[in-house]
Amino acid sequence: MTLPTAVSTEPVLRLDQLSRRRAGRPAVQNLSLALSPGQVLGLLGVNGAGKSTTLSMIAGALRPDSGSIQLNGADFFEQPELARQLIGWLPERAPLWPELTVSEHLDAHGQLRGLRGAALTQARAAIIERLELQPLARRLAGVLSQGQRQRLGLACALLHKPALLVLDEPANALDPVQVAALRTLIREQSATGTAVILSTHLLAEVTAVCDRVAILHEGTLRHDGPVHSDDHAALERTFFEIAMNGHTNPARAA
Amino acid sequence: MSLLTVTRLEWRRLLVRPLAWVLAALTLAWLAWNFTLLLGGFLAGQIQNAARPDSPGFTDLVGVPLLGQLAQLAFLVVPLLTMSVIAGERRNGTLPLLFAAGVPASRIVLGKYLAVLGWLLLWLLLTLAMPLALAHATHLDWGKLAAATLGLALMLAALAALGVACSTFASHPAIAAAAALILALALWGVNLGAQMAGINGGAINWLAMSTHLQPLLRGLVSSTDIVWFVLLIVLALALAARRLSAERERD
Repeated sequence: MTLPTAVSTEPVLRLDQLSRRRAGRPAVQNLSLALSPGQVLGLLGVNGAGKSTTLSMIAGALRPDSGSIQLNGADFFEQPELARQLIGWLPERAPLWPELTVSEHLDAHGQLRGLRGAALTQARAAIIERLELQPLARRLAGVLSQGQRQRLGLACALLHKPALLVLDEPANALDPVQVAALRTLIREQSATGTAVILSTHLLAEVTAVCDRVAILHEGTLRHDGPVHSDDHAALERTFFEIAMNGHTNPARAA
Repeated sequence: MSLLTVTRLEWRRLLVRPLAWVLAALTLAWLAWNFTLLLGGFLAGQIQNAARPDSPGFTDLVGVPLLGQLAQLAFLVVPLLTMSVIAGERRNGTLPLLFAAGVPASRIVLGKYLAVLGWLLLWLLLTLAMPLALAHATHLDWGKLAAATLGLALMLAALAALGVACSTFASHPAIAAAAALILALALWGVNLGAQMAGINGGAINWLAMSTHLQPLLRGLVSSTDIVWFVLLIVLALALAARRLSAERERD
């Protein structure tokens, strides 16, 4: 693998005062953060904290009520074409068309993301090889196991070599070997300059692959800081303080 | 280009689902059986008809009635075919994937509509192939047959647009199918009461689909009838696109 000679420090993603209501209540409120190329951000929070809503807005599947999203400095909604090329998204429980084969899924996703002809063929072959999908290539998505579905969803998200990879609970339904492979893949993507947002319930996942963690609680950002792989206990303490009290312990923070 | 991708995707889904094949097989078998009955009737009455100066021909007795039967079947077939185009995507959770790929709601709706329309036109052509197979052996009224085919094509296009719109609004494919069937029947027979009362003009008659299809089946092509179908198609698709766009904003 070749590392980029100069990784830009200009944020690939910038959220500014992002807000969104769902089911009559605020799901995300005034969320601001920036993500540089190659950075791996772990997004933590209890159920209903606003993680999936945030990721859906970043992926372009949901419009924010207010605030802005910038990709490589350009407004997301003014240039949807840019967003289509720059973002790869794996939603929770990898939604697939059960009538399409694995190979057809990759073709459809590639075409939707602007890949055509030889570029699409090459990208499909590369991702099939990288995620070891060869034995499944002609199989219908409707008959895949949950783990295989997740791998296909990941392949669809990575197919067009996005600059920002948005992963919503990607380790769901994966066995320990597949989880280890997923971690390797995320590190690979980061090394090539792809920024990654990883939403998860698993703190171990964050300490294993993320270099930064953001904790959401009731739709607001309560913590944003670096992650040290050797300090799992500190992350756990911070997470539980926020989950129980809505904030970190001021005495300890001081 | 995303329009073509959505159309191709929906076309592939249609081809893989057993429902489309079962519907095609059953309806074409039914139509073929009826074609032989109509043909038998036409052959049996040929001597009597030959004696009359303005006797109906093969097109009137076989071709157009066969297309009329296709029209009746379409009330059931089209809602079944369109029920899951959007409601099915919603259930699969794949709709956000299309939104995230930057495909505008209008292109999602139009792409899916074109795929369904392609299937329906193929269905119409296969039905039409039955009377056309005898073109060399009998006299066909090409103008009348073309007008009836145009009418059927417009009717199928209108029912498909209604079906797609219902699928966009409904949360479940079965609800979409039921709604499309009810709407289509209502639109067909909205003027039944007026006709029973002996009123043959007026707005209520203009609203009914039957008012605009029957002249075409008789071989009378009128721009008013064509405009009626086009208006219905545009209105249904515009409503569907608007609803889908709002869904991206809302959910």
